[in-house]
Amino acid sequence: MKKLVLVLTLVALLGALPVSAQVDFTRYVALGDSLTAGFVSGGLVQYYQERSYPAYLAQQAGAPVFEMPLVSEPGFPPLLELKALVPSPVIQAKPGAPGMPLNATLPVPYNNLGVPGADLYDLLFTTGDIQNLLAGNTDNAMHDLILRIPMVLGPDGNPMEFPAIAQAIAQQPTFVTLWIGNNDELGAAVAGTPIDGITMTPVDVFQQLYPQAVGALATMTNAKIAIVNLPNPTAIPFVTTIGNYVDVPGIGTVQLEGEYGPIGDDDYITLGASALIAQGYGLPGFPPLPEDINPATGEYGVVLRAAEVQAIKDRVAAFNQIIQQTADAFGIPVLDINSIFDDIAAGDHWVLGGVEISADFLLGGIFGYDGVHPQSIGYGLVTTELINMINKAYGADIPQLNMGQVLFEGGEPTMPAGAKAADVVFSQAAFDRLKQTFPINLHEPRPISHDTQAID
Amino acid sequence: MRTAKHRVLLALAVAALAVPSLTQGAGFALFEHGNRGMAMGGAMTAVADDPSALYWNPAGIAFQMDEGVQVQMGVTLIQPSQHFNGESPYPGDGYKAEQISQTFYPPHLYVVMPMNEHIALGFSVTTPFGLGTYWDDDFAGRFISKRVDLKLTEMSPNVAFKLTDGFAIGFGIDYAIGQIDLTNNIGFVDPYTQKVADVGQLHLSTDGLGNTAWGYHAGVQVKLGKGFSFGALYRSEINLTYTDGYGSFRQFATGHPDFDAALAAQIPFGQKVDIRSKITYPDFFTFGLAWQNEKWTLSGQWGRMDWSSFDELPIEFPDYPHLSTTVKEGYKNVDQYRFGVEYKLNEKLAVQAGYLHDNTPQPRASMSPLLGDGDRDGYCAGVSFEAFGIRTDVGYMYLDIDTRDTGGMSFDGYEGEYHSKAQLFGATMTLKF
Repeated sequence: MKKLVLVLTLVALLGALPVSAQVDFTRYVALGDSLTAGFVSGGLVQYYQERSYPAYLAQQAGAPVFEMPLVSEPGFPPLLELKALVPSPVIQAKPGAPGMPLNATLPVPYNNLGVPGADLYDLLFTTGDIQNLLAGNTDNAMHDLILRIPMVLGPDGNPMEFPAIAQAIAQQPTFVTLWIGNNDELGAAVAGTPIDGITMTPVDVFQQLYPQAVGALATMTNAKIAIVNLPNPTAIPFVTTIGNYVDVPGIGTVQLEGEYGPIGDDDYITLGASALIAQGYGLPGFPPLPEDINPATGEYGVVLRAAEVQAIKDRVAAFNQIIQQTADAFGIPVLDINSIFDDIAAGDHWVLGGVEISADFLLGGIFGYDGVHPQSIGYGLVTTELINMINKAYGADIPQLNMGQVLFEGGEPTMPAGAKAADVVFSQAAFDRLKQTFPINLHEPRPISHDTQAID
Repeated sequence: MRTAKHRVLLALAVAALAVPSLTQGAGFALFEHGNRGMAMGGAMTAVADDPSALYWNPAGIAFQMDEGVQVQMGVTLIQPSQHFNGESPYPGDGYKAEQISQTFYPPHLYVVMPMNEHIALGFSVTTPFGLGTYWDDDFAGRFISKRVDLKLTEMSPNVAFKLTDGFAIGFGIDYAIGQIDLTNNIGFVDPYTQKVADVGQLHLSTDGLGNTAWGYHAGVQVKLGKGFSFGALYRSEINLTYTDGYGSFRQFATGHPDFDAALAAQIPFGQKVDIRSKITYPDFFTFGLAWQNEKWTLSGQWGRMDWSSFDELPIEFPDYPHLSTTVKEGYKNVDQYRFGVEYKLNEKLAVQAGYLHDNTPQPRASMSPLLGDGDRDGYCAGVSFEAFGIRTDVGYMYLDIDTRDTGGMSFDGYEGEYHSKAQLFGATMTLKF
């Protein structure tokens, strides 16, 4: 009799479900880095956290709860803003003290566990302690802000570390998105210097860790999972905006010089060079543009030679192959954001209502003021593609994001254009902000093997 | 004779004054070229027994020798209506819009003159293509089109030969005048707000009547005996290059003066600049079979319009190549079916009814605020009466257009469902001299 009741209840439950509901967002957890956290224009702030792709996805899929580590204005760190556009764009950090955590006392882990700056290793092993941040220490700020509790009691009654992946598993999610690995190679582009083991994670380490992460999610939860792969560095305006020639009044067009000679058409100059070029660097009679990260000062290089770009792209390709193989092994669908971003960077615009949205810096709409991270329109694009992919892969029917609202909504309050004195595209302060986002430890390469008990 | 001449001139003047401005007909072809023909669903190629034969089958005027000189003129009022229901991603689920109502009035004029027992001459003014859509200023599709008015007017001398008592052929040359008027907003990401802003408006207009091209048409009509007749018509492509026109740009302030200045350095706001465009209007052939006796006329017709010629709509700015665009259209060839019946109550009174089905040539991906088309079913009725030596044809058509949506494929990134219908009403008068 009991059995019959159970069967009837199940049948009734199944009958009550919409036919298309092949995915369950009752407990949705997003794992990743700054791109998952909704990091925009150099910082985290509530307005954009609520417009991150996980927040959009949760909203569209009807997730009943989606908790985030919200931060008040002007953001943490304060967001960059555009102060003037002509004669030259001026981008600076908003004034004032950094924003404060708004949701730090939530008694359970956040649904959005994307940690700005986190790489694959961090996802598996790095913990955070909100008390450390509240005490004024910013050495591990993003992990402290988002993970908050370094240790918890494990199922066996013993204390265990509580990194992002463990916080995800502890929630027993019904759906998980995973977009990790950007910081295993993007730092090479931001620092203008690909160095194996320093600015780029070695392939064998990624090969070792990525299946661990996916395996833990696949075996320790019943969640359906969607994975996003990694875009190329040549898809971001931080790398593609500055040309190798400048127009010098009275002289004409001058090819910029780096430490290793003239910068060719296949080489790239990062936005980090902007403030330097404004001071004359790279021009005849001035010092050449620094090409590589300086071990003594920690200053980043601002030139990516063709071979360096290729090295980073090769690394992205290797990681993406590992991601695909791992996903295939676990039967998980992958969103190929790599080719979507490449297509857009190549000029295959995203057209909405006749308006072209592109990867152009400042005017394209996809990327924010740091030139690396999308802003709400770009995260809307990621969400749109992700929903298409999830619907197709899982036979689901998640309604598409309403980009009409994303394109035109009021926007965060913008200060009127202020002083136009500084003749700088991308201020030194803005570049410094990016360095905080992509910290590179020159002296302490990560241990390749690590005690993995935390997730076993 | 003197009076007659005056009346012909008056008729020509009326037709010239009535500036045609129009819409309807699958794609943007128009088949309303006489209200008796419209009331019979346009199934006129095999019938072709009044001056509107100059559109449907010029051979037909060779069988109208007994009528003397005929002048036929009229107008069809077209009232289209369209609702749009948006879908995500853009403009988004729940978005609704409705076209501003308009009435179009494409006129038609025919003059038929028998020369002898075997040869008849004809002259016609028709508007075989037209498109008019009009949306509110704040419409979400405003970056594609707020308002468009496109028309092709043809002036056509014809000659027809009655080769035997049952066989006639007719030819005509078409002098086509194209006009385009198109207004849309210019949308750009405002770097300060990082949202899309309306930075200006573009108005494209062909200036006057200087954009012309030539085409031709030919028809054959065969009286098969026992009341049966067969007709066939071919109308050629019209390949029109628009060189006489301008684009005028108007700037809207965004509230960020330096952004406005940066845009003004790229876009010639406040100026009229040359434009060029090109449209290949499709060729059209149709075959019909009719049966007539003293009281009844029954007619059926199949036609095909080779819309694949309308693959793209280029809009070029020769002096500002970076502003040039090409609108992808990708139309396909389509069939149409027409059926009509007429019953003559007496010498001076007749009634008509008709039905037509027009497949749309427009792929879902190119449905847009310019034109969101669907397959059409037309239900028609009319009455003809003669008084004071003037025959008057009054016709009505209810055009039911299939609701279609873009299915996530819109070339413009403008997704949604178009619900459309139209009512057509008109009168045509025929004078005989």
